[in-house]
Parts: sequence; C-alpha cells; structure tokens
Amino acid sequence: MTTTLPGTGTTEVRPVDVPRGRARRGRGGRSGKAGPVTYTLLTLAALVSVFPLYWTVVAGSHTNAELAETPPPFLPSAGLFDNFAAALEQAPIGKAILNSVLVSGAITVGTVLFCTLAGFAFAKLQFRGRGVLLALVIGTMMVPTQLSVIPLFMMIAELQWVNQLQAVILPTLVSAFGVFFMRQYLISALPNELLEAGRMDGASTFRIFWSIVVPVARPAMAVLAMLTFLTAWNEFFWPLIALTTANPTVQVALAGLGSGYVPQQAVIMAGTLLGTLPVLIVFTILGKQIVGGIMQGAVKG
Amino acid sequence: MATVTFDQATRSYPKTDRPAVDALDLQIDDGEFLVLVGPSGCGKSTSLRMLAGLEEVDSGAIRIGGRDVTDSPPKDRDIAMVFQSYALYPHMTVEQNMGFALRLAGVAKSEIARRVAEAAAILDLQDYLDRRPRALSGGQRQRVAMGRAIVRSPQVFLMDEPLSNLDAKLRVQTRTQIAALQRRLGTTTVYVTHDQVEAMTMGDRVAVLKDGLLMQCDTPAALYERPANVFVAGFIGSPAMNVLTGEVVDGGVRLGTAVLPVPRDRLARASGGTGRVTVGFRPECLELVPPGEGVPVVVGVVEQLGSDAYLYGTVGDERSGAPLQTSDVVVRTEPRHAPEPGQTVWLRVREDALHVFDPVSQVRVD
Amino acid sequence: MTIASQSTREALVAVPVSPAPTAQRPPARRRRRLSQNRWGYAYVAPFFLVFGAFSLYPFVYTAWVSLHRTSLSDIDGGTWVGLENYRDLLQSEFFWNAARNTLTIGILATVPQLCMALGLAHLLNYKLRGRTFFRTLMLMPYATSIAAATLVFAQLFGRDYGLINTALEAVGLERIDWESGTWSSQFAIAVIVTWRWTGYNALIYLAAMQSIPGELYEAAEIDGASRWRQFLHVTVPSLRPTILFTIVVSTIGAVQLFGEPLLFAGNGTTSGGSSGQYQTLGLLMYQQGWSNFHIGQAATTAWAMFMIILLVVGLAAVIGRLRARADR
Repeated sequence: MTTTLPGTGTTEVRPVDVPRGRARRGRGGRSGKAGPVTYTLLTLAALVSVFPLYWTVVAGSHTNAELAETPPPFLPSAGLFDNFAAALEQAPIGKAILNSVLVSGAITVGTVLFCTLAGFAFAKLQFRGRGVLLALVIGTMMVPTQLSVIPLFMMIAELQWVNQLQAVILPTLVSAFGVFFMRQYLISALPNELLEAGRMDGASTFRIFWSIVVPVARPAMAVLAMLTFLTAWNEFFWPLIALTTANPTVQVALAGLGSGYVPQQAVIMAGTLLGTLPVLIVFTILGKQIVGGIMQGAVKG
Repeated sequence: MATVTFDQATRSYPKTDRPAVDALDLQIDDGEFLVLVGPSGCGKSTSLRMLAGLEEVDSGAIRIGGRDVTDSPPKDRDIAMVFQSYALYPHMTVEQNMGFALRLAGVAKSEIARRVAEAAAILDLQDYLDRRPRALSGGQRQRVAMGRAIVRSPQVFLMDEPLSNLDAKLRVQTRTQIAALQRRLGTTTVYVTHDQVEAMTMGDRVAVLKDGLLMQCDTPAALYERPANVFVAGFIGSPAMNVLTGEVVDGGVRLGTAVLPVPRDRLARASGGTGRVTVGFRPECLELVPPGEGVPVVVGVVEQLGSDAYLYGTVGDERSGAPLQTSDVVVRTEPRHAPEPGQTVWLRVREDALHVFDPVSQVRVD
Repeated sequence: MTIASQSTREALVAVPVSPAPTAQRPPARRRRRLSQNRWGYAYVAPFFLVFGAFSLYPFVYTAWVSLHRTSLSDIDGGTWVGLENYRDLLQSEFFWNAARNTLTIGILATVPQLCMALGLAHLLNYKLRGRTFFRTLMLMPYATSIAAATLVFAQLFGRDYGLINTALEAVGLERIDWESGTWSSQFAIAVIVTWRWTGYNALIYLAAMQSIPGELYEAAEIDGASRWRQFLHVTVPSLRPTILFTIVVSTIGAVQLFGEPLLFAGNGTTSGGSSGQYQTLGLLMYQQGWSNFHIGQAATTAWAMFMIILLVVGLAAVIGRLRARADR
C-alpha cells in the first residue's frame, strides 16, 4: 500500500465534449509533426525507461566479477537460468508469484465490484448524506498508509491472520480512488433516461444495476481492473508488515531477497526479474489499454 | 386501454417558490391522444413524469383506468414511455431492447419473439432486429423506441418530445406516422412537445400549460377558434395572433387614429371599468379595405412565402407622420397583390374573428 | 489506495436516515419516495463496510494509540501518556533528521520529475509515428514495483559492481560510494522515484493537453504567437489545475517514501544508512514500530506525516483558490 494510483489528474480539466475518440483529439494544440529532435529525445526517454529493466536481465546473467569488468557485459547469457534456479532456491519466488496472483486477483475483483456499486450510487442515486459520504471518500485519498497500519496490525494479530493472505486482501479490497473513478465515468456515460427506461420496463433496482449499469460501465471497469491489479501486485508496505517470507507476496519475497545476505548480485537480479515478469507480460499485452485508461482517468478526474 | 386522471396533482421541487406543476386537473379519455404543450419550464414534462411514476406527486392524485396509482412504482402502472433521447440500451440488439420489459415480466420466449416480430413489422424494423442502437440512423432509433413501447401493449403510452432529435423533414413524416399508429392501436396516449404545430396536428385534444398551470385543454380547432386567454391566443397559431390593447371608445377600441368596432356588451364586460380592452385577431382574418375605412397600418416588411405573403406593419397613419402605437400587426394577404414596404393599408377585421380579452385578467370575453 | 476501509457501520450511523426536514412542506402528504432513495445506501454499503473497518477505524485508532506508551509485544496494555509522544517526537533528533531527509529527497524527486514530465508530454503531443509505442514504454517504470526498481537501481548504483561507477571510471572520474554519502544516497533514491513516476505524470499532462481546444492555439497563431509562446501562454495556463494536482499527489507520495530507502542499502536495516543519511519519515515510523516495537511513537510519527500532508494540500488549495480569483 503506497499512495499509488494517485492517478487521476484531477480537477477542472473536464472534457467539454468527448475528446475520447479520434474525433476531437489530436490537436491538443500542436498538430505539428514531430521533427528529428523530438524523435531523438523521445527515443532517449524510452531507452531510459526501459534500460533498468533490460539491465536486470544482463546483471541477472553474470557474476559480480564479470559485471565489474570494463567494459561491462551488455548482453544476457545463459547463466541467467542458473541464477533463476538459485533465486528460486534462496527465496520462495514461486510461491510468492502464486500468492501475488491470488491476492491481486481477489483485490481486483472486490475493488471493481464494490467501487462500481458505490460509484453508481454516488453518480446517479439521490440519498441523504451523499455529499458528506463522497467527501469522506475523497478525503481519505490523502491519508497516508502509515496512519492505518498500526491498528490494522493489531487487528490481524488478534484474528491470528499474520502471515495469511486474507490479511493483505481484505484491507485493500476497496479503494477510494476506484469509487471516484467510477463515479466520474458514470456521471457522463450513463444518461438518466436509460435508468428511467429500465424502471419503466419494470426492472428491479438490482436488475437495473446488472442489466444496464454494468454493461455501460464495462470499459471503465476494465480500466479500473488493470490499474488495481497493477497496484495490488506492487503493493509493498502493508504486505511487508502483514506477511513474512514464509508466505510472501512477490514484493515481500523481493524485499527478503534484497535484505538478506546474498553474495551474488546476479541472483538478486534474477529473482527481481522473475517477480516482475508477470506484470511485464500483462503490460506488454494490455499496455495500450492501460495507457488509455490512465489518460482517460486523468481527464475525467 | 384506460382513462387517465390528474386530480389536483402538484409537484414542488425543494428550494423553489412555486410548484413545477400546480394542482393539475385533467381528464383523458380512453383511447384519446392528448398533447401537453407549452414553453420550456411550463411543467409539461414534469406532468408526464408524474404520470410515469418517475416524479413524485406532492399532493393530489393520479388515476389510470380509475385505479389510484399515485404511489405506485412505474412498473405497476401498466404504461410505456418513449424518451426524448430514446434511451435505448446500448449493449442490447433491437430485438433485445424491444423484448426487455417482457423478459422481465416473465413472458414466454416464443411469445416475446412473436410480439417483437409483430411490432417490428408495424414499424418496418424487421431487417434491423440484430443490430445495436449504435448502428441505426436517428429515425430508426426513434422507431425502436416506439417499438419498445408497443410490444408491451400497455394501457397508456407516454411520449416525451419523441421527435425533437430528428431533422425537420423526418419530423413531419414521423409525426403523421405516430398519429396514424396511435389511431390504429387505439391506446390512450399522452404526448409532450414544445412545438405547437406538432400539438395541433397530432392531438385529439391539446392541453396548454404555462408556469405549472393549465391554461386551456380543448380540441385543436377550439383552441384556435376560442383561446381561453391571451397566452393561449398568442401561443397557438403561426404567425401568432395580433393582440393589441387600446382605449375604449363608443362602439369600439381606439387603435391609433382609427376605431376598431367591438360589440357593446363584450366591450363593457371586458373593460371592467378600466377604460381599456385587449383585442386579438389572426393574420388571416383581416381584409384589405379602401383607404379611409377600417384601421390604417404602415407596412414595414413584406414576407413572400409563395402561397401567401405576410405584411409586418405598425398601426398608424401617414397623416400623423409617425406610428401611433408600437405593437406590430401581421397580415396575411394575396402574394401577387402584396403592398410595398412603406405603404399604408387599411384593414378590417372579420367580425366573427375578433377575440376580446379582459386586459387585467387576460381572460377571454364572449 | 490506502488500506482502505472504514467501518461502514459508523459511517452510516452518522447519517440521519429519517427525513426530518420534508415535514415542513405544506400540503404534502408524505409519500413513499419514488426516487430509489434508500437504495443508495445499499449500493455504498459494501464499500463502506470494508472502508470503515480497514481505513476509517484504524485511522482514528492510530490517534488513540499515539497518546499511549505501547509496545508491539503488549498491544492492549498501553499506558496513557497524553501528548508525551508528540513532545518526545518534536525533541527527537531522529525525527528532525528524517523530516529533513524527506524534504530534500522529496524536492529532488518531485521537481525534476514534474518538469521532465511536462517536457515529455509536450513532445508526445506532436503528431508521432509509433505514438502508442512511446507512451507504453514510458509507462513501463510505473508498472515496475518499488521493490524491483530499488533492487535494480541499488545494483546500478553499487559501489563495487555497479554500472554507474564503471561508467564514471571509464570516463576518468572517481568511483562514488553512493550509499554512504548523504547527498549521493539521497540523489540516488530520488532517481528511483523519478524513474518510476515521470512517464506516468507525462501521460497525465498529455491527457490534459489534449483536452485543450485546438481553437485556442489557432487564435494564438493568428495573433502571431510563436510555438514557444503558445506553450507558455496557452498550454501551461490551461494545465495549471493538473500541475497543481500532480504536485499535491507527488508530495503526498514523497512524504510517505518508504520502500526505496528501506531496500537501497541492501541489508534490510531500517535505519536508512549507517548514519541515517537517507532515513525518511516513513522508514522512521516503521523502525519505531517494527524494529523498536514502540508503536505509540510510530503512531505519533504517522500522525505527524498526515499533518504535513494536510499542510501541503491546504497550501495547494489556497494557492489554487488565489489563482482562480486572480484569473477572475
């Protein structure tokens, strides 16, 4: 739990119409074509963004001595796989990945469901105290994680949940950001008349949610799911407190790997790579959607 | 089929000083096509939504077929509604959109399919049943929205400006189709529009609202011939009725230097001791008469429409040098013999076409 | 994403469910509301149940703990000490050291990061081939976890085997012991933060830039404004709310900085370097609670962090309002 997902840019940037599609986008002012300087700078930035990840592969496949040579090796070698094996031996990476999948999956399902429900209510239903409750939700986005971990730890100690996955799933099962995000989306994407049509057609409140709201909200739910999964996978502070390396998530396992005495840097790097690969694979497949989601969230917010 | 009754139905929004709909009394007959019309903010949509069950009724009652539905949720009222934006479910096909209500009501699949097919045939939608709303034209969407209402065979159709999202030509065409369809189905229909032409052409009766109050409810012809007050007189008809207020003189009302004759008894009742009276006459109820007779009008603008010409002028007379009264007068004339701008014409109002109103209460006097 | 959750129960109790004020409406016989009123509570209930139990309640309880001398080994048996923990905190050199480090690392990490993000957004806003490709690559660091990023950068900044020192040596400069120096370690940590968040913020800015109507630029162009002046006088002012927002968010993140300094040393100590040269408030709080087991103190530090955040957000709100007023 870090303050991650602060994501949505906020405020008054609200799109006048729908600059979402290709229709009105683009201009953002400068329809100017990028020149060679632009491409050079962007390529440089892209390289800087990717290089540390690439270096994980390189450093994960060479010994300390090889890394210290001048010039250092710049290509990975087959040694990587030996180091994978060593990392899996020295840290429970396999178990950690499985745990992280479970934890992130559960958190994602819960967050998307609960936040869609609440976001819908905040966007479209009138009820007493709505404004106050919404302000409460938004206000807590500023509260640092550190402020809740102590009682949480006491709680899970009491429940004997230390080192159990529910200890990291439950507290993260909802997100204030998610509620806000879904609310902003539904305000503009779900016309009131559609809900009224549902009522005229005789749909129950639950039916309206399931058959009308959810289909309309689906694009935003997908974005929220991706962002939530990513955040949950990378969650660090709370899992570090609630779990131990005996039953870790990936981040806890990596922290253990980085804090223990591991003589070969390569093993640490190989372990880091293993723990990061699942996310990188997901990101490679869904990168475009994630980028779109973040940008959409930024404008909506 | 059913009658619909608004009985002193009132809706006040919090933090407003006057009700959006104020003690509305309206009796709609079985099978009737009733149009609610008025300027924006007059309460016509609110009235419809009260009938739909989408808006609360703060006091008074609403009855459908004699049954008090004031507190019933929409689904228990046996009504169907066509929305201004159509409100088609974007993720459902045309067929699913039309069948959704029946599905919710637990109607058998085969029966749903039959009724949807039937409605689709009526509306010429057979070829689009598998499409999503996104893939339809505006006119087709509008028909799907109609179809969604029809398949339920409800007691009452509610339509909230269903044509306002169509272009002008399609609107005229669809207008007659809806009216014909309603007559064929014989379903009681309440139709909201801000367009008085739509109201006049479609409704069996038209209810004119203003500021939450019912001004008049009658057949289109009656509204046109005998508007109950100055507002209805001005609202119904295009171009609008000429409405002028002037000083009462012996046997008439003084307009400029001339006197427009008004029957004595109406004059007395309308002036009510104020010494003034309001008269109204439609542009087509004026006849050109030889100079010196009738009321002189200085022509400002001439609009040629081909079939007709409209003169926009000012009551006045060239002898006085300037118009004596600022109210504009519109006159329909023969297009081929229309006078030139700047000319003075003399007009006479056909006797049976003169409307007289009390200038204070604005109410019609017969 | 805080550890969200507050107890819904409490949240709901705070809200009067009975509609008192409607009674005054004169002729109204009170009717069953048709507008789905109380369904709203049903929809927000699951959220607030979790939120209340795991966010709101802990939040308040932390305040309570901060007024006790409590140890992690003896959770329930704290002694009431009133504001003593706060007094101690303000007199503690560790606190001030951590606060100072948090501030310097925060500035080092935030200012260049946001400036670069703005520049990158500007570049990404040109008509580009491979637009999605660039955007996706720049978001990769955001997808990398703090732990992974820190371990990699710890390797890159390593004294003996680190690539950066190898490079420095190759160009004839001295090797640097990044971890042991105050400025060097703080710089390195700031680099990690900057690396992770620059691309993300660039996308936020880019999104805001794209919602600026093109007509504004056309008008500026007709008025004879150069590209650079258009950027200064159209882009930046339109982005002001977004910029303010990212500053606030980055600052909130910086105040809570924890994972990077924890893992940077590579030996798992919570002291933030041998002389605490990169000890941050977040790390100090963890050290107090989970190394020294003084959770009362840890709770106090956590509250101090929250106060700092409130101060920053309050300041931003005031600035935002003043600017808005100035614009009017």
